[in-house]
Amino acid sequence: MSTTVDTADQSTARPIGALGSMIRRHGWTLGLVGILLVLLVVTRLIQPTYGAAGVQGLAVSVLPLAFAAVAQAIAVIARGIDLSVGSMMALTSVISAALMEERSEGFAVLVVIGVLLLGCVLGAVNGSLIVLTRVPDIVVTLAMLFVWAGCALLVLGTPGGGSAEWLRTLTGGSIVSAWIPRAALLLLVIVAAIWIPIRRSRLGLSLYAIGSDPLAAYRSGVSVTRTKIVAYTLTGLFSAFAGLTLTATTGIGTPVPGPYTLLSVAAVVLGGVSLAGGRGGVFGPIVAVVILSLLRTDMTFLNVNTNLATVAQGLILVGVVMVGSLLQLRKREP
Amino acid sequence: MTKNQWFKRLVAVMAIAMIAVACGDGSGSDTTLAEGSDTTAAPDTTAAAEPTTTAGSTETTAAAGEGFVIGYSNGGGVGNGFREEQVCTAKAEALASGQVTELNQIHRNTDAAGQLSDIRDLIAADVDAIVFNPNDPEALNPALEEAAAAGIPTVSVDAFVTHEGTYNLYNNQIEYARLGAEWLFEQMGGEGNVYYMRGFAGHPADTDRHTGFQQALENYPGITVIPSIDGEHTGWDPATTTQLINDWIASGQYGDTNGIWTSGMDSQVVDAIQQANLEFVPIVGADLGAYVAQLLDAEGFAGLEGSAVTNTAAVGGAGVNLALKLLNEETVETAADAAQPNTVLLDPVLADNVTDEGRATLESWQVDGLDPLWPLGLTIEGWTTYTPEQAVACLGPGE
Repeated sequence: MSTTVDTADQSTARPIGALGSMIRRHGWTLGLVGILLVLLVVTRLIQPTYGAAGVQGLAVSVLPLAFAAVAQAIAVIARGIDLSVGSMMALTSVISAALMEERSEGFAVLVVIGVLLLGCVLGAVNGSLIVLTRVPDIVVTLAMLFVWAGCALLVLGTPGGGSAEWLRTLTGGSIVSAWIPRAALLLLVIVAAIWIPIRRSRLGLSLYAIGSDPLAAYRSGVSVTRTKIVAYTLTGLFSAFAGLTLTATTGIGTPVPGPYTLLSVAAVVLGGVSLAGGRGGVFGPIVAVVILSLLRTDMTFLNVNTNLATVAQGLILVGVVMVGSLLQLRKREP
Repeated sequence: MTKNQWFKRLVAVMAIAMIAVACGDGSGSDTTLAEGSDTTAAPDTTAAAEPTTTAGSTETTAAAGEGFVIGYSNGGGVGNGFREEQVCTAKAEALASGQVTELNQIHRNTDAAGQLSDIRDLIAADVDAIVFNPNDPEALNPALEEAAAAGIPTVSVDAFVTHEGTYNLYNNQIEYARLGAEWLFEQMGGEGNVYYMRGFAGHPADTDRHTGFQQALENYPGITVIPSIDGEHTGWDPATTTQLINDWIASGQYGDTNGIWTSGMDSQVVDAIQQANLEFVPIVGADLGAYVAQLLDAEGFAGLEGSAVTNTAAVGGAGVNLALKLLNEETVETAADAAQPNTVLLDPVLADNVTDEGRATLESWQVDGLDPLWPLGLTIEGWTTYTPEQAVACLGPGE
């Protein structure tokens, strides 16, 4: 069991002090933060007027995808994958938009709570189907992608609905300083408040355990089926957060899913979560989302052809993952 | 873990990452005319701005005569003939105007949230004006408000947005449907059954066209709409259209059909009727290259009587032209009866293959080298200054 709970390379960590240990455990995420800082400097060099307003815009832009990446990361850590993240976002977004349209601000609070609970239910359905049918995660969630997308279209045939004003305010603008976007703070507070306690609990250990080696986890007394359902429930919950932020930032619900599912997988990969499960965290993917978004912004500043920008984005993603993996490989060699 | 295992894992990660980014951003180019309705351009679409006169924006970030940087955002339909032509006309207008040093364009498939982000990027890029084809009439308003606060004029093309300060420039879809329907009902002698093939359910253009169709219908009591007044939705998708018309033929209902109104998915209907060896009934479509070629091919499509209504994709170029007018503080004539203020409506033109005049018009629409999936109308009188050849070349300033 001890080998199953590492987030990075705990098993090879040497006792070199708390700071060194932390750097080693979160090396990938810290590396990404370094890349992000360099990218911000580069952005400023390319576009000298890029400032607080740009950072605020960036924070609002990344919000839905960042929540989607967290949702995906949890499924992947538990050795799964959820291809229905985008559809769950669409469904929760249209339901919230349809219910909030021309209703009171107070009623919207109930809607938000209800939609988050619905997200948990959607995720739990995904997880239950996987453990009950024993059909691979990728197949079940692929099927559910269509189910949830169809439900979204049943709720709203075309983009529409509305959003409560307080919800829109919550995701826009800044707080304390112009350099601290409300959207970024909201994201970090929600993710930290939910994920950190789970990560430190027995449940967190179980998630990493079934991700690393389900058999070993089972033999250690972890309920693999229950943990898997919980993992997908959490994925559903964060997908619902993502859907709510879509409604909040655009003021409408869109029934046709956006490109979030595959981008969330890309963010998870870049964020240092092993697709084999049991390794990584949720903050790496969030930083990865910001990097991917900022790269696109830089391409706009440089007026690079959009198609070339997409190719460049892919190549940079592969390059970063490849270099990171090679560095880890070298570190692990005796 | 062995070195070999690590490499295997690495390869898997690379593959997934590449697929994720390649597909995830959706810049794939499906060449279908998914947006068939938005899919026509009329050679000589008339600039239809009317009555009310509004002064252009007074907030200019660059003095007249200097080079402007224009931002252009198209948030969907990459590979769609209408959208591609629209972007190319924008480039051509930017080049031909001689006033634009750079057209910073973001042309990708995304959702409303993605386009919000794109417009914010263009604001951060400090462009002088932003022209965009909106993914939603309301969702982009926060970014448009930010643009207004930064003194950047914004122009929505192809569809309107509800943001007050933004100018809208789009084809008059109500008129588009009414013109074609009236021609069809006249051609049928004012009586008989019309098979009603609509566009994409819920799309503003489809809704407007439905209104125009019903307006025309009011004056022709002898016309019956089949299968119902709600019509059939093609989704502006060629495959769906082909399926629908083939089902219609197979069910035997084509025998009771005296005319067909299509919302721009036209050549597929003509092809299906011909392949079934049936006699043509009068048909209305858009000014797409393939359909107009069928109308002009009297031997290949014997007995085909039809008309094409223009729905210009040159709104891209016209949008850049309008943005420049605003930057130069010129006066812009806007339509008084449009759904939104600050709106320029482009009126469609109809040409048929049953009169010499109509055939001559259809002939005049032909442009050498134009992609058959692109709408024919490449210029708009009064709103574009480039040549059709410049639009086909698809080159902007500095390219």
